[in-house]
Amino acid sequence: MRLTFDDTVESFRSTFRAWLGENRPSEEEMTADPAVSSAHLPGWARRWTRRMFDDGWLVPGWPPERGGRDAAPVETLVYLEELERARVPRTTNPQGLGIVAPSIFEFGTEEQVSRYAMPILRGEKSACLGMSEPGAGSDLASLSTRATAEGDGFVVNGQKVWTSGASHADFCFLFCRTDPDAPKHKGISVLLVDMDTPGVTVRPLPHITKPEQTDLNEVFFTDAVVPAANLLGQLNNGWALAGASLAHERGMVWLGTVMELESTFDRLAAEAREILPRLPAFEQAHAADQIVRCYVDVQAAKCLGYRSFAKLARGGSAPEQALMKAFCSESHRRLHLVGSELHGDGGLDVWDARRGEQAWIEQYFNSFGGTISAGTSEIQRNIIAERVLGLPRG
Amino acid sequence: MDLELSEEELELRDNVRGVLAAACPPSLVRSVFEGKDTGDALWEQMVGLYWPALALPERVGGLGRTFVDVTIVVEELGRAVAPGPYLATVTQFTPAVSELGSPEQADRFLAPVAAGETTGTLAVAEHGRWEPAAVAAVARPEGSDWVLTGSKSTVLDADTADEVVVVARATDTAGIDGLGAFVVPGDELEAFPRRVIDPTLRICDVVLDDIEVPADRVLAEPGAGGTTQALRRVLDEATVAVAASTIGACRRIFEMTLDYAKEREQFGRPIGSFQAVKHRIADLYSIVERSTALLYFAALTIAEDDPRRREAASLAKAAAGDCQRLVAEDGLQLHGGIGMTWEYDLHLLLKRAKAGEALFGTAASHRAELARSLELVAP
Ligand SMILES: Cc1cc2nc3c(=O)[nH]c(=O)nc-3n(C[C@H](O)[C@H](O)[C@H](O)COP(=O)(O)OP(=O)(O)OC[C@H]3O[C@@H](n4cnc5c(N)ncnc54)[C@H](O)[C@@H]3O)c2cc1C
Repeated sequence: MRLTFDDTVESFRSTFRAWLGENRPSEEEMTADPAVSSAHLPGWARRWTRRMFDDGWLVPGWPPERGGRDAAPVETLVYLEELERARVPRTTNPQGLGIVAPSIFEFGTEEQVSRYAMPILRGEKSACLGMSEPGAGSDLASLSTRATAEGDGFVVNGQKVWTSGASHADFCFLFCRTDPDAPKHKGISVLLVDMDTPGVTVRPLPHITKPEQTDLNEVFFTDAVVPAANLLGQLNNGWALAGASLAHERGMVWLGTVMELESTFDRLAAEAREILPRLPAFEQAHAADQIVRCYVDVQAAKCLGYRSFAKLARGGSAPEQALMKAFCSESHRRLHLVGSELHGDGGLDVWDARRGEQAWIEQYFNSFGGTISAGTSEIQRNIIAERVLGLPRG
Repeated sequence: MDLELSEEELELRDNVRGVLAAACPPSLVRSVFEGKDTGDALWEQMVGLYWPALALPERVGGLGRTFVDVTIVVEELGRAVAPGPYLATVTQFTPAVSELGSPEQADRFLAPVAAGETTGTLAVAEHGRWEPAAVAAVARPEGSDWVLTGSKSTVLDADTADEVVVVARATDTAGIDGLGAFVVPGDELEAFPRRVIDPTLRICDVVLDDIEVPADRVLAEPGAGGTTQALRRVLDEATVAVAASTIGACRRIFEMTLDYAKEREQFGRPIGSFQAVKHRIADLYSIVERSTALLYFAALTIAEDDPRRREAASLAKAAAGDCQRLVAEDGLQLHGGIGMTWEYDLHLLLKRAKAGEALFGTAASHRAELARSLELVAP
């Protein structure tokens, strides 16, 4: 148990920090042309990804030909710390870099790697994840989008929903049913579908607080023809691909979330220092207590994250990981709730003119994205209870 | 930052857990609850294993290990609801002497602690408040000696400890730090044991009736300066140790509840298969893990003397407080009727968990401390 890292790790940090200082996209570039969905690659984002790839800073734990430098896990951890500290996004297509590209490297053919995975690493293509459907959310394995083998390919019919970034993505990592007679987990395959394939249409779903925002979409497939060469991995083995991601970084995804929690807390505390002195004593004490509770949660999440990382880095298992998703997203949601309540009637305002961004109440509604997507908090509790703690399935 | 126990630390934990499983079974704890045993034999065994010497410097016969190791031991003592003078001697008396006294005094009072010959405690709280500002007991100079009067509350082991560090204040030191600290032989105090929910913790109130303290037993003379700061450091250690004891008890309650949910069947299936039960157990696990992570962060800041130690101690104690609230409540509820019996072990742990909440500042008082340090409210 130690508070500090070894010198070699710290010198890795300085090397990256210096590179980042010279090569990062500027605030002006980023605000002038912001990414408006999770598969949108504005010009600066394309150039930034390419620069990181060329210099081996995109996925440090990977070899140079995949945009890395064979870094050790703890080096990747400090790399992520530095990126967060500089408030530079690593990518504007997180599902592409974090899930789609690694899955293609793991399960794909050489051709799939060169046509789909490498372009993601070079900032040339972005990807969306087509998993959820109107009838298949938490119970993903009940999905019914059909891919029927026909000629030298598949014909796809069905509908996806909540597909983040679909209107900007170049291709979709599509889960579909290829054997309707098999048990539900056994008849699923993954296809890489170009979004400009005839028969693929995208309908943006206006968002709860920003109806003009186009991140969430419905995607309809009507007799869309996909070449057999775009089948990823084995036919009917798609369920095995559902959990793939940057495996060596899986123990670190909490880091970005925790640093986001910390900066949200700092903002909350700064506003509270102005507002609290104006409140009557009882309300002041109550509000201060709510805020301190948030602080305890944020610090606990951080310590839990570092502890689980240390276990993984030593080659052990880290059951804490299972807790992090639900706890961090719920803490994030609570911070925004407390933030909106702190402002009293002003908490109803949707725009924070001083900061020039959405105010707490809207961000509170947005924060449910964290507790709903990628396995709801309830599903996380099922997973913890059954897989980590060994309670019987109900 | 590496917040996982090292090989050596894990070994210590397993070792301590093994010893306590044999030497401090629930039957012993129950006997102490019932007034049929004092637990003295257990203390002798701890002394034989050098547990009191663990973090003391080699100079006084200690093993020179860190506060993380002490935290590990105390967490295990909480898990076993162990009776005895370890907590007060090692995590209150010892830091009080080291932080407040001179090197000569440290040698004089701590060498016998390392050897297991002396037990001690710390009398700082008054009316259930531990913050230095709440100290009202009076220290009056008489030549080179001092005379103490007033009262102290919630002193652990005050009726059995060999030596007691008493914190009192000189009244005619306007404008300067009037706090002082004195080592008083236990038998010179009037200690009134209270009947508390966890009788393995000997919580006493104390009356100081003109106690004369010779100069060589004055750890910190009133007006010497820096005493409040030093006392705060002592409180950091004692606070984290109480959090450790609480979390040790909580983790055991969680484990018992989990086992019970797998075993106990109703409606033809294990109660742990009902989602209403399952999700609550997942939440218990989460809160125990979170509090443990904050606990060891705090222990580490003390071991490495990091400037964040004060804040980390309050974070750990606040988290331990919320942890015991949830774990005691759901732990007992999910056991159904069996949890309400004297014969079943659960209540021993519930009581230890509750006792921890009230010692060295409640969760609410530590959140108040954090609100001040975050500058949310006026100091
Ligand atoms: C912001 C956002 C972005 C998203 N991005 C994508 C994306 O890019 N690609 C994609 O494929 N999907 C995406 N999703 C979809 C997301 O994965 C699903 O919304 C999620 O899996 C839940 O499914 P559902 O919405 O159908 O809710 P349902 O599964 O219908 O759940 C409704 C409620 O019932 C509860 N519930 C369901 N089953 C159980 C159970 N067994 N036990 C206890 N409670 C249960 C849930 O917890 C929830 O509270 C996104 C969602 C959001 C909000």
